[in-house]
Amino acid sequence: MKKFWLIFSQEYKRHVLRRRFIFAILSMPIFVGFIALVSFLSVRMQYNGSTVGYIDSYSILSNPQPVPEKVSSLLPSANFVAYSSEVAARSDLNSEKIQAYFILSKDYLSNGEVTLMKGKKAGSNIESDFGSFLKYNLLAGQPAKVINRLTLGNNLIVRSADGTRELAANNWMAIAMPFIAGILFIIAVNISGGYLLQAVVEEKENRTMEILITSVSPSQLMGGKVIADLLVGLTELTIWIGFFLIALRFVPQWVSVGQTSNIDVSSVLLMVATFLPAFVMIAAAMGAIGATATEAREAQQIAGLFTLPIVVPFWFSSAIMFNPNGPIALGLSMFPLTAPIALPLRAVFTNIPLWQIVVTIGLLCALAAFSVWLAGRVFRIGMLRYGKKVSFREVFRPQSFQGK
Amino acid sequence: MPSIIVQNIVKNFGSYIAVDDVSFSVEAGEIFGLLGPNGAGKTTSIRIILDIFKPDSGTVSILGGPMSEEKKNNIGYLPEERGLYQDIPLERCLVYLATLKGMENSLAQERVNKYLVRFDLIEWRKKKVKELSKGMQQKAQLITTLVHQPQIIVIDEPFSALDPVNTQMVKDLLREERDSGKTIIMCTHQMHQVEELCDRLVLIDHGQSMLYGTLHDVRKQFAKPAVALSTPDPLPALIPGVDSIKQENSDYTLHLLPGHSTQELLQTLVKANIHIEKFEIAMPTLDEIFIDVVQKQGAVQ
Repeated sequence: MKKFWLIFSQEYKRHVLRRRFIFAILSMPIFVGFIALVSFLSVRMQYNGSTVGYIDSYSILSNPQPVPEKVSSLLPSANFVAYSSEVAARSDLNSEKIQAYFILSKDYLSNGEVTLMKGKKAGSNIESDFGSFLKYNLLAGQPAKVINRLTLGNNLIVRSADGTRELAANNWMAIAMPFIAGILFIIAVNISGGYLLQAVVEEKENRTMEILITSVSPSQLMGGKVIADLLVGLTELTIWIGFFLIALRFVPQWVSVGQTSNIDVSSVLLMVATFLPAFVMIAAAMGAIGATATEAREAQQIAGLFTLPIVVPFWFSSAIMFNPNGPIALGLSMFPLTAPIALPLRAVFTNIPLWQIVVTIGLLCALAAFSVWLAGRVFRIGMLRYGKKVSFREVFRPQSFQGK
Repeated sequence: MPSIIVQNIVKNFGSYIAVDDVSFSVEAGEIFGLLGPNGAGKTTSIRIILDIFKPDSGTVSILGGPMSEEKKNNIGYLPEERGLYQDIPLERCLVYLATLKGMENSLAQERVNKYLVRFDLIEWRKKKVKELSKGMQQKAQLITTLVHQPQIIVIDEPFSALDPVNTQMVKDLLREERDSGKTIIMCTHQMHQVEELCDRLVLIDHGQSMLYGTLHDVRKQFAKPAVALSTPDPLPALIPGVDSIKQENSDYTLHLLPGHSTQELLQTLVKANIHIEKFEIAMPTLDEIFIDVVQKQGAVQ
């Protein structure tokens, strides 16, 4: 058991203390932050906070006031100036004093007709800003509560027919969680599995294997490595989730993100229960590939194949969302390789019967155990092979390997 | 009781017979040579002894029984394919591999340092293994083999990357280990090293054991009726009872015809008034025996 921990701690430290690992940890939030910044800037560039004119010849708005600005908003909103005639407004538009002007029609209140004349530099925000401006001034004199409700809209809660499940329509976190967690899972699996695969192939390539195998048993060696690499992946995942939570704490100050507080504990538990055995299953399988492959590059290519079935549920996400009890959703949520993503996603939209959850997770656990066993076996046969692959027949043939 | 007893081991890889009914035993306090040409089955035999491979048939007893996880701590192995972690500092690499042999970390640290001093590698202890020269890595690998003071030492081509100074140091070290009662199996192609170091040997070719015994017995077994002679005088072209003469400066090797004794030859030379500086029964070198056996086996195959 002591040797198991030695292998474990050596393997863990070997990866975590490498510069490459720290770079991998930081690159993810930097990448996401960069994408967010670029998206924000591209939206911001289409916004224009300069003056917009409007002509209200029929005095539909009495004593118009600007919409009070949100203090934390990062995006500019246009301010509106009244013109008495279109001639004056057009002249200012031509001389670029204003970016656009609106003309309220005589029958605006009955048919809502508004004409917009835009200059070349008109921002994409002016239509919605003018809408808010109109709404605010038309509602002037109403109680503040009414204005507020009409401005913010409804808070729709959708309940399932049996009343056991409900989802607030604007609780985007509940829907986004399985997606985000799924993506993180795939990345973590790839990273940990990749580390394991790399470690095994490296030990084959640098010929440390013979020294190791005459010092510890294959199960101690493989077990220590699988658990260590699992923990390396989890370390990475935990740090990313930390970054994600920090981002969640700050982002709502600037951007409206809907409700964020209603993360269901049971769905988090379901994710953990699915992810862990799936993780062990895939990591061990990658270890086995490492033992059979003859060089690192070849092993990486084979390992890539594992990621493919895991991401399949994303392609069918609309089928899962709109028909969560249909055959596609059911099949994907129960098939071991697609279950880690499909099961938690499906659980957001429907009540999954307990037996399905038990069977799926049970199957995953069984496959994880089988995968570790298979990895150990393949490893024993393949560890001292250089330049020759291990065939399936050999793996399942009794007595062809070093027994314990 | 021998430390290692190998009995009739057979190992096939598909249709290829790597080891075919090989048996030998190795005693404590001896250096045992495991010889053979490339692909003869030496490494496979070693891997079977170390329980990396299971034999198809036959048995191996090591320290009084089959291999166990505990016994692994009592074995030092220098594999043919050298292997150390390239990306970590030398000292950390050696200490880690020593702890895998059951040593406490502090003791491993202490012993590794002693060996680093002895092998003149102490200045390199913080350097990454990949920065070391081939010879240095070879010495580091030897430290890994010996640091946990194993009862059984199995070394495959221990001198392959070493210069003469380091070769001598390793030879001294191996003799020290033997004298302290360790069991040493040495695989090599370098016959002069075997002649110098080994007490007994087995020669394997095509998976089969061809020769087995003490160095002296093996050489005696292959000794042909020949005489090594030194003389300042020229030898006559024809000497009664002599089949052929090989000359190197004033040294001659005279091969006798069947039925003629060295005693008769000596009398003939004295009668011919040839001054004799050296006259001894010529023993074949291990190199000659090796080539002889392997060529004969090749002809049979």
